[in-house]
Amino acid sequence: MRLIPSPRRVLATLALVAGTALLVSGCASPQSGAGASTPQAGGTITFAVDVDPVGHLDVHSSQLDINAILQRPVFDSLVSQNADGTIVPWLAKSWSISADGLSYTFDLRTDVKFTDGAPFNAAAVKANFEHIVAPDTQSAQASSMLGGDFYAGTTVVDDHTVRVDFTQPFAPFLHNAAAVQLGFYSPLVLAASADKLKAGGPGISVGTGPFILSSYTPGSELVYTKNPDYNWAPDGAAHQGAAIIDTLDVKILPESAVRTGALTSGQVDIIGDTSPASLAQLGAGYTIISTQSPGVPYSLFLNVKRPVFANLGERLALAEGFDLDAAVKGVFQGRYQRAWSILSPGTPNSYDASLEGSRPFNSGDARALLDAQGWTGRDSEGYRTKDGKRLSARWISYTPVAEDNASLAALIQDGMKKIGFEVKHDVLEPGAYLDAYLAGDYDLTDWGYLSADADILRSHLGTKGFQNASHVSDATVDANLAAAVATTDPAKRAELYRALQQYNADAIATLPLYVPEYSLAAGPGIGGVTVDINGWPQFSAAYTSR
Amino acid sequence: MAARLAARLGGMLVVVWGAATLAFLVLRLVPGDPVDIMLGVQGQASPEAKDAIRADLGLDRPAFEQYFGYLGRVLWGDLGRSYQLRLPVTEVIGQQLAATLELVAASVLFTLVLVAIGAVVFGGRRSRPVVGALELIAISSPPFWIGLVLLAVFGFGLNLFPVAGADGVTAVVLPAATIALPVAGLLGQVLAAGMADARAQPFALTALARGVSAERLVLRHTLRHAALPAVTLTGYIVGSLLGGAVIVESVFGRPGIGRVTLAAITHRDLPVVMGVIILTSVVFVIVNLAVDISYRLIDPRLALSAEAIRGVR
Repeated sequence: MRLIPSPRRVLATLALVAGTALLVSGCASPQSGAGASTPQAGGTITFAVDVDPVGHLDVHSSQLDINAILQRPVFDSLVSQNADGTIVPWLAKSWSISADGLSYTFDLRTDVKFTDGAPFNAAAVKANFEHIVAPDTQSAQASSMLGGDFYAGTTVVDDHTVRVDFTQPFAPFLHNAAAVQLGFYSPLVLAASADKLKAGGPGISVGTGPFILSSYTPGSELVYTKNPDYNWAPDGAAHQGAAIIDTLDVKILPESAVRTGALTSGQVDIIGDTSPASLAQLGAGYTIISTQSPGVPYSLFLNVKRPVFANLGERLALAEGFDLDAAVKGVFQGRYQRAWSILSPGTPNSYDASLEGSRPFNSGDARALLDAQGWTGRDSEGYRTKDGKRLSARWISYTPVAEDNASLAALIQDGMKKIGFEVKHDVLEPGAYLDAYLAGDYDLTDWGYLSADADILRSHLGTKGFQNASHVSDATVDANLAAAVATTDPAKRAELYRALQQYNADAIATLPLYVPEYSLAAGPGIGGVTVDINGWPQFSAAYTSR
Repeated sequence: MAARLAARLGGMLVVVWGAATLAFLVLRLVPGDPVDIMLGVQGQASPEAKDAIRADLGLDRPAFEQYFGYLGRVLWGDLGRSYQLRLPVTEVIGQQLAATLELVAASVLFTLVLVAIGAVVFGGRRSRPVVGALELIAISSPPFWIGLVLLAVFGFGLNLFPVAGADGVTAVVLPAATIALPVAGLLGQVLAAGMADARAQPFALTALARGVSAERLVLRHTLRHAALPAVTLTGYIVGSLLGGAVIVESVFGRPGIGRVTLAAITHRDLPVVMGVIILTSVVFVIVNLAVDISYRLIDPRLALSAEAIRGVR
């Protein structure tokens, strides 16, 4: 008996199989675009993203962008913000602001109901806003979007009229009311399962939106089915009525290469949070939608309370000392714009374009500035010294650091080394980072913060701002921030924010690096996907045509 | 017999208790306050609000009180509630356990098939160098890379398997193969070395002289001799896999204990981390027992020598 086949033949077969497989995979191309013109009703769109908001599904307490993206299909807001920043009616047909700017009265639609059957009315708005400010909710972002300390309360005027009051004028409120963080849970859910909102899932994450969350496998998949009754899309939206597709299937694929491969092999239809490097791999036939994120661009925060950045000289030397233009161009393959202001160009009614090009790379000037500050000695490694101490800054970041940001950090360190300024980059695990951050034990740290209203500067530059990583404390800045949040006159607000951007460009409390973008790539045969002001996808008009 | 069983069970409990205690201590030594981390780097909460959360979670009580309270609850099967997810830890782990068990079972099956092919079928002297080289390649390839290559060829290229998820039998094939390839390489090497040793023993010559065929020599004799270290290794691998295969879970977008553990460690979700550690130690204790039992089945001499030792005593 010879059970055993000839090893040689088996090996040859294996080699043949492997070769064929490689050949086929090399040739694999997306389905041709032919016939991709006729939209079909029904069907499924598969959307792959990198993470899911495990344990942070409550729109009222979660601070994760991915949660805002994945909950938007389920939750509607009072108003909607167009991509250009203008506000249009949504669940509120109209609204009025009292002359003193303290009260907002919303006239609600009367035909809206939650997908569990509960009616949407003034009481539902009140219940939701009260849930946001309730201590048990532990909301930071949503509660500050609702005015934080300025929020006075919500009053049911009649069944479909609701009034929101503030203790002082709170100009960002309408922009904020458009965000999913101020979206509406069914009052039945708030009454019965408020303790389960963070875990989320079908029957818990229940809103009035065009889709219903019908299944959730943490770490793997979220499935949404269309809400057939939906008939309350924002005013002027391209698509009114129920969604075109039957099912939206969101897959969690943490690896960027896997997401790109899944798209090019046709296993998923759309991929999100796509890096410039992955976009460069996609050939023709793919629709790419990239949107500059509004808010604070990706920036370095210079801790002015620490000796190395206490004086303007060293801060200016950092701003001029390395070639940021070349670094951003190189790292992002020319796809991202270098940032000049503490606000991104996409932030509505505030960006000061005159700052562009205002402080070009000038290592000669940077060297002179450091000499003037007394950093004239040199140690054995070529770094500048003063009184025997090396010119060195500690930059802390928390894991995971995106590959592109790590490359950028290396280029910054390299550029600064050339002028004798040591930048040590300590990449810390979040727990250790927070310890160092809260203790102020750093000279530099980095982030970008997405926000559709310039009021985000209040938390970044205000003396008491919770994101004031630079430890700025300036009476004029605080006065301008207070005036900007309190005025509803757009022209006056824009002027105040211009002054604040100018302040930062002069004082270098933060060094803006680049303007991040949210990028989506859709395969052939997918159409109708629109994006909001953040670049996040909206699926009610999306269709497949295969 | 009953006394031995009780001693054995007692020993197992001590191991689990030791693991839980060590984990409790270490988690209090690492930097990072659970409440700060829970609120996030960009979080915004007053010190009073933070204190309220701390009191709510019992983190304001003395460490020894927390420790004994925790042990007491664990004895009653209560692993506590996740700080992050606000769900009972048993539920958090339970949700992921099926996917992990499926992955481990499939990986073990693939490994055994691959090892059987590599060591038994190609165990002959002529093909051994080729198989050995393939095994070395499999061992030295990072699982991350193996996963991506398998995905590129069989997922994206040939469209034979789904890229992600844990729905259906096909979804487990590529992840299990990713785990099985390097493990099979390692086991194959260990097994082949053991079989070569056994073949050089006088009993092998005796068996051949008795007229035993080459196949029967492998299946009845040398494989048995070589199996002991391989079984130990398998037990160890099964134990670690049940604690999570985080890289494979990430590449294939699979749910599983590994990613839950990683997230729990990052977020200082202490009850979940403790729960996973207790689960893993229980698994190791059980696997260890199973390995010991299988030793006696594979090699009757072990049972005999144990009797002999008792006889002397």
